[in-house]
Amino acid sequence: MVEFRLPKNSTVGKGRIFTAAPGASNVKNFRIYRWSPDDDSNPVVDTYEIDLDKIGPMVLDALIHIKNDVDSTLTFRRSCREGICGSCAMNIAGENTLACLKPIRDIEGDIAIYPLPHMPVIKDLVPDLDGAYAQLRSIDPWLKSDTAPPPDSERRQSIEERAELDGMWECILCFCCSTSCPSYWWNGDRYLGPATLLAAYRWIADSRDEHAGDRLDALEDPLKLYACRTIMNCTQTCPKGLNPAKAIGRIKELQLERKA
Amino acid sequence: MSNPKKPHVTVMRSQLSRARGLGSGQAGVGHWWAERASAVALVPLSGWFVIQVFRLAGASQPEVAKWGARPFNTTMMLSLVILTFYHTQLGLQVIIDDYVHGKAHLPAGLLMKGIVFLLGLFGAVSVLKLALAGSSRSTIAAG
Repeated sequence: MVEFRLPKNSTVGKGRIFTAAPGASNVKNFRIYRWSPDDDSNPVVDTYEIDLDKIGPMVLDALIHIKNDVDSTLTFRRSCREGICGSCAMNIAGENTLACLKPIRDIEGDIAIYPLPHMPVIKDLVPDLDGAYAQLRSIDPWLKSDTAPPPDSERRQSIEERAELDGMWECILCFCCSTSCPSYWWNGDRYLGPATLLAAYRWIADSRDEHAGDRLDALEDPLKLYACRTIMNCTQTCPKGLNPAKAIGRIKELQLERKA
Repeated sequence: MSNPKKPHVTVMRSQLSRARGLGSGQAGVGHWWAERASAVALVPLSGWFVIQVFRLAGASQPEVAKWGARPFNTTMMLSLVILTFYHTQLGLQVIIDDYVHGKAHLPAGLLMKGIVFLLGLFGAVSVLKLALAGSSRSTIAAG
């Protein structure tokens, strides 16, 4: 059966409180999930009182400030700080998003920050995404064509064919969508999840790809694809404004279309 | 077991092997489509049924029996009963797929299908009894 309660060693306790410097006027509380594999203790939530006048506007600015000036043990992934690398995907105020694109002022009250839900945690805000990456690899996310490319140029597409890929090539593989999906929480070992299915449809829809049928064959499975229950958390949460639910719907339509 | 603190690892299979699993089951699209098609078909059937229930409200037993013996009503009622329980079974299977894992999955699905089948059959037999009993009684009365 599905586990509806957290295992004993995952229940979250109270952590430390890092108070702001005296005289700070614009203070906001950041309540951040902490867990380290180095000791045997349960995860806790530490509270950091941060003077917003001293930092930039985004949640990532606060995290970097904490790491640099308050508590260097806080662990999180970040790289580009402009929403193109997908590293700083985490659960902020109950919503999976990118810390670098989330303005602090959009959140009322304390800001709770947790790692992406229902993934194994490596440390603090760093989830283990190996399984999700392997699922992406399993759908062969690259061009498969038996026709040789023109010797002197690239493979060509019409403007209309190229437009088919809009809304899909923009995916940065942050996995905010997959980890927001209850179907992925319950059946993530077999359901591929919205991020991987969006990538799969990106290649099915590509006019230069010649293996759409093989790709549809590989996805025609009660759980790999059809564990999608059109809950649409994926589309709701995507920090890039993409629509994985629509891509999944298109795959289902194509599978139906080829039956008749 | 040189280091007792080191946990025993039971799964060393690669992540890609786990992701590929047993490959595609080559099923799912039929179930998905049947769910939607039966749901759409149940919209007019259920609407018709609700209207009939209001029309028959307060009617006497012979009046209802007469209503149930009309071939059109029998056809509509049988369609409604069969599709309702077929759709129920499809939907409950989804819940079992989501929440029951491992060895319990197959027996849970079979048990559910058995119960829904019997309930549906009971409904169908009831509709048929209403449809056929009325005519047989009138035959006996006439004879």
